[in-house]
Amino acid sequence: MATTNDKEFRAKLETLSVSQQRQVAALFVQRVFAFSNDVRIKAALDMAMRADISDAELAVVSQAANTARVESYAQCGRDSDWNTQAGLFVAKGAVSCVRPDVEGQNLAWDAAMQVRVARTCEAASGDVTDHKEAEAQYAILDDFLNK
Amino acid sequence: MSASLEKGVRVLKEVIDAPIASYFSSCVHCGLCAEACLFYTETGDPKYTPIHKLEPMRRLYEQEYTVLGRLKKLIGLSKAVTDAELAEWQELVYNSCTLCGRCSVVCPVGNDIVYMVRKFREGMSASGNAPVGIKGAANRTITIGSPMGVKLPAVKAQMRHVEEDYGLPIPMDAEGAEYLVMLSSMEIMNFPEYLGAIAKIMNQAGKTWTLCSTAFEATNAGMQIGNSDLARVIVSRIVEAAEKLKVKTVISPECGHAYTALRWEGANLMGRSFGFKVRHIIEVLGEFQEQGLLKTEGFETDRLTFHDPCQLARRGGVIKQQRNLMNMVSKNFVEMPDAGFMNWCCGGGGGASAIEEGEELRMEAFKKKKSQFDAVKPDRVVTACANCRIVMEEGLEHYNMNLPVVGLTEMIADHIPNPVVAKPEGS
Amino acid sequence: MGELQFLTWVRGTGLNLAISIFLLGVLVRLLEIYSLGRKKDLAEPRSVGGASGMNTVFRRSIPPEGMLKNSPITYIGGYVFHIGLVIIIFLFAPHIKFFQDLLGFSWPGLPSQAVDFAAVLTIVALLLILFDRISKPVKRYLSTFQDWFTWALTFLPVLTGWMAVQHLLLPYTTMLALHILTVELLLVFLPFTKLFHAFTVFGSRWYNGTVNGHKGVAV
Repeated sequence: MATTNDKEFRAKLETLSVSQQRQVAALFVQRVFAFSNDVRIKAALDMAMRADISDAELAVVSQAANTARVESYAQCGRDSDWNTQAGLFVAKGAVSCVRPDVEGQNLAWDAAMQVRVARTCEAASGDVTDHKEAEAQYAILDDFLNK
Repeated sequence: MSASLEKGVRVLKEVIDAPIASYFSSCVHCGLCAEACLFYTETGDPKYTPIHKLEPMRRLYEQEYTVLGRLKKLIGLSKAVTDAELAEWQELVYNSCTLCGRCSVVCPVGNDIVYMVRKFREGMSASGNAPVGIKGAANRTITIGSPMGVKLPAVKAQMRHVEEDYGLPIPMDAEGAEYLVMLSSMEIMNFPEYLGAIAKIMNQAGKTWTLCSTAFEATNAGMQIGNSDLARVIVSRIVEAAEKLKVKTVISPECGHAYTALRWEGANLMGRSFGFKVRHIIEVLGEFQEQGLLKTEGFETDRLTFHDPCQLARRGGVIKQQRNLMNMVSKNFVEMPDAGFMNWCCGGGGGASAIEEGEELRMEAFKKKKSQFDAVKPDRVVTACANCRIVMEEGLEHYNMNLPVVGLTEMIADHIPNPVVAKPEGS
Repeated sequence: MGELQFLTWVRGTGLNLAISIFLLGVLVRLLEIYSLGRKKDLAEPRSVGGASGMNTVFRRSIPPEGMLKNSPITYIGGYVFHIGLVIIIFLFAPHIKFFQDLLGFSWPGLPSQAVDFAAVLTIVALLLILFDRISKPVKRYLSTFQDWFTWALTFLPVLTGWMAVQHLLLPYTTMLALHILTVELLLVFLPFTKLFHAFTVFGSRWYNGTVNGHKGVAV
């Protein structure tokens, strides 16, 4: 049964294991990775795609992704660039993918939301007027579940 | 004397009033102001002593406004203020001062040093000695409407995003709404969740509100650079909008200096009192809480502490509300040492975080904030200023501290159930 | 000039001169400061009990949270010598007699041993304050000639007065004359140095308290 709205989307994500959530989240974030191109984000996404990550490895990429995130904040008073700003949300999405402590959290949903904000930044830069990121995410999830 | 120095000196002369004259005449060089300033306490460099940041202004005061000083000038015994000196003072007046105001609270003879620094910045900016970073921000605010160049289409994109996520429409230019909500570029860019939080809260409280297409920016770079003319332009946009839309209250966002600019300096910049109220979002939430309009569910269970933004608490008088709000959604809220109106600055306000050359100094100064965190060992830090959030995250990063920083308005909104609104077809 | 001539001069001409300059100086300084005025604050005020100019005039005498532990010598030394000066100047019988001649009325004083004790404490406190100004980096950095000069102006009257009463070092007449001379120097320079804070501290604290009180912050 295809996903058609956020309620279903979120509920289905909730049913996934942590490892599955990381993988699907990485698939979401990869769609907007071009806004960041940061090696630390790439490392985090690559790690999240693997089914067999150790806690130690997770800690390392998590730390690096967090540093990338903090570095990508737009500084108060500096000139803005929405395409660059999208990178902040790519980083936030990646941080969700490799967050070590995920008790009771839906990290895949968080990542999906951050990706949508990244798309909003793209829209804000005027390059794109509307985006159908939600629909794309539903399709990715359905493909993943049907594998 | 160069033309710009002349302009700067003229402006400085104009801003000197009885309070400033009284303050300069009262200073006994006790050095207590230094002990209250994080730029001194964390570096040990006495040049950061707050009253010392005003030395050129003090000499000017003496030379222009005292009988003895004018006599000395006549017989050539006084040292004039020079271009070079003002250039040298730029670091002291901007990089190492966030207008946090702790110095004004401890001075035993009652000197309001932050008031004087704010006035000194008028002369500094008029003479061309304001830092490049803030100058850019000020220019962009005038020409584009936002210090970071955020334009209306960007705001509309964020609005659409919120409407899709929550199914709540964001009103724009709605005449007769009770609240006009202002945003800050920092929030629009870095914390877009803020807009959604506002929508949820207003929806639950049953209040009418609106954004304004011609005035969505509250950040006041004119205030930071110390240029009243610029500050006035920014404020007047908001005032015009508020009056055109006939709102009762303008809500200042989680940006400390925006609040100071609009709430406390606004009427004085415009030369008239406002026909509407100005409130910080935290004040509004506090009011809603008191009136029983906020119905939150659940509690955060981790150990939380609150960082008081200087312009909100010590300089703005909003001190209790954030604590009441914290207690509404947290079971484990602990206060850091010096919490409340004597809290220590994050080190990045007043335009400081826009100054690239000042980053190393800010990181040093951050040790003070870090020491407060070390004392209370929270799991997360909550605050109510977008700039404080980022400055603290950067500081924590720098010192390898794994401590998330979150915004209070968003945290409250997280505990308000999502509205049950049917998603319109084809969205 | 003989001892007696010196004493007569400081008691007569010298004193008249010093008091005249003092009064004129205080008047001129108060006028040139407070006539500058300030703009009215048009922002909507927030009314919070205890947050006002008047409140701050008194409350600012109490060290804010954490500051006393941070700078004990500044606060304790400061309090001791200020209070000591008040006791010595206004509660010492010979001084009260002087004021009576000047103003036409008097008030009860303290026993001379108490004043003597206060004088010793004041001298010690002033020496401590001097030592602190020399040794603390911030104070040393801020200090100009005026800071050392005004310290001496404040210290010498207390020292010479105490020495006169104790009959130390010089014959009483000379010591007394020196004491009065140092007091005259203090009077002459007070309005034109940082010592003028004796008058402006009230205005400064009041302005500060008013501006913050307008926002509902009790400073």
